[in-house]
Amino acid sequence: MSRILVAGKNNLISPEDQVIFEARDYQLVFTKDPHEAVSIILEDPPDFLVTEIGFGDDDLQIINTVKGCLQKANMPILLVLPKDVSPILDWKQFSVDDIIIEPYDTETLLARIQLAESRMIRVFDNNPLSRLPGNTSIIRAIKRTLESDDISGVCYLDLDNFKPYNDRYGFSQGDDIILMVARVAVNVVGELARENSFVGHVGGDDFVVIVPEEKVEVVCQKILANFETVRNMFLTSEDVKAGCYRAKDRQGRDTVYGLLSLSIAVVLSKREKFKHYGEVSAAASQVKHMGKKLDGCNYMIDRRDSYKPNVESSPS
Amino acid sequence: MQEEKRQEFRKALRDVKNLPTLPGVVIKLSKMAEDPETTTEQMGKVISKDHILAAKLLKLVNSAFYGFPQRISSLSSAIILLGFNVIKSLIISASIFELMEDNDVELWEHSLGCAVVCSVLAKRMEISDPEEISTAGLIHDIGKVAIKMELPEEYQNIQNLVEEQQMPMREAEMEILGLNHAEVGGWLAKTWNLPGKLVEPVALHHDPNKAKLEKEATAIVHFADILIRGMGYGHGSDVWVPALRNKAWKLLDLAPADMDEILDEVEEKLWEVKGFSLDVKTEFEGAA
Repeated sequence: MSRILVAGKNNLISPEDQVIFEARDYQLVFTKDPHEAVSIILEDPPDFLVTEIGFGDDDLQIINTVKGCLQKANMPILLVLPKDVSPILDWKQFSVDDIIIEPYDTETLLARIQLAESRMIRVFDNNPLSRLPGNTSIIRAIKRTLESDDISGVCYLDLDNFKPYNDRYGFSQGDDIILMVARVAVNVVGELARENSFVGHVGGDDFVVIVPEEKVEVVCQKILANFETVRNMFLTSEDVKAGCYRAKDRQGRDTVYGLLSLSIAVVLSKREKFKHYGEVSAAASQVKHMGKKLDGCNYMIDRRDSYKPNVESSPS
Repeated sequence: MQEEKRQEFRKALRDVKNLPTLPGVVIKLSKMAEDPETTTEQMGKVISKDHILAAKLLKLVNSAFYGFPQRISSLSSAIILLGFNVIKSLIISASIFELMEDNDVELWEHSLGCAVVCSVLAKRMEISDPEEISTAGLIHDIGKVAIKMELPEEYQNIQNLVEEQQMPMREAEMEILGLNHAEVGGWLAKTWNLPGKLVEPVALHHDPNKAKLEKEATAIVHFADILIRGMGYGHGSDVWVPALRNKAWKLLDLAPADMDEILDEVEEKLWEVKGFSLDVKTEFEGAA
């Protein structure tokens, strides 16, 4: 059953029609108070939002509450517009999924809601855990960066000592770590480099963050600092105190493992340097191998002017 | 009968939805949220001076929906994980006291002061995460706000008992409700999925001897509550200083000579807090 939040000053769905929705397995939640709407979206998020223009302290308040938050960015929004207002809006700002003009009948509204839902599932390239865009979107984003005149930093994030962490704390806690890194990255990028940026989840403990060149350093530093602040919440206090732990490696040998840390390898999207998006990730993995030799959280920017592929395939 | 009534109160208190905040704090934060130069940390700094908003933030980050149940015990981590937009929405959805009484301000100051003392003590004792302890100190009296909002009639009776009989708040609570604010705060923390590290110090701040897992943290909050009352900065709706439990005091392992240094350090930190509290009061008067 899907929950639909119907938030508007007017009766966007008349109470008599509620049964039509219930028959299709939708549960309706009504509010006429914008602050209550924000609080419902925040604390008890619905699956779908129907709202109207002019509701809230400003037109975008409710929409931004939904779209401004990574975990809810996939919640479809249907915007109701009055008949006498031009329906041509700045859709970048009004990031809704569909509009409907008054007056409308309930069947049409229902059809629009169902359509928006199924469209959302169709375009779903997102990682099921972090809900961040996946590989298709990442490749598209890197291509776009290479085509652009502005240079961006393509940052590859990955965790060190993640496998031993999983062995020690279990997979479910490992998932929490992945989710934590996703939140940290999204929130830092959202705050420091909102324009022309991108955060994607390759899978496992690998993420890609793209930000304009001039933001690369501050974004990397902030991601690492925030990661270090939050990390201890996911470790036992004994491990934090010791700063490392002993465990058997996969061959059964006693090994000392460092606590979780995050490394970032950055490649600058210089057009003359890369012919193909694949070369960007190859360059990043070269940088990463250098980065892994450093201890703890670190980032490294590839400032070489040209890209040379690894000729000899390294035995692994 | 008594048990039946207790159950009834329990249920009412558990369902508490939107605890109100001081208007000045919300006004200040709303202004900050509109300013594009404001950083998440700056917002976080203000939120960590308000027991209600702090509790809400912890409730949100530890909710099943946000993905970290019973995990996040420090406010700075909560702020990093929720991000600017969610914090902004939290402020929009915050409810404020319709009628602000002196007691509300006193309790707010007391909570803030208790957090300051907790932080000084935790650092001195070299606790691995001192912020966790100050967070517990900040929200230790959250049960009082819940009782006031959910059971207004009983709350009035409690107040009357405190004034007429010169009775400490928690004794009056026991008399009227058969339960006290620490217990209530503990349930709330638990239903909100807060980590055990916060639940126990809140639930047992008057009975630190009963602590099982977080003995040290509970003892610190217990003593900080007493110390800040003794220093006369804010109060918890009654003006008396509760008794210090011997076992908790021993666990803290402080010599009387340490107290001079601790008091100096707390005094110094309280200056900043007092400036902020003045700021919040003028913010409110300016808007009214």
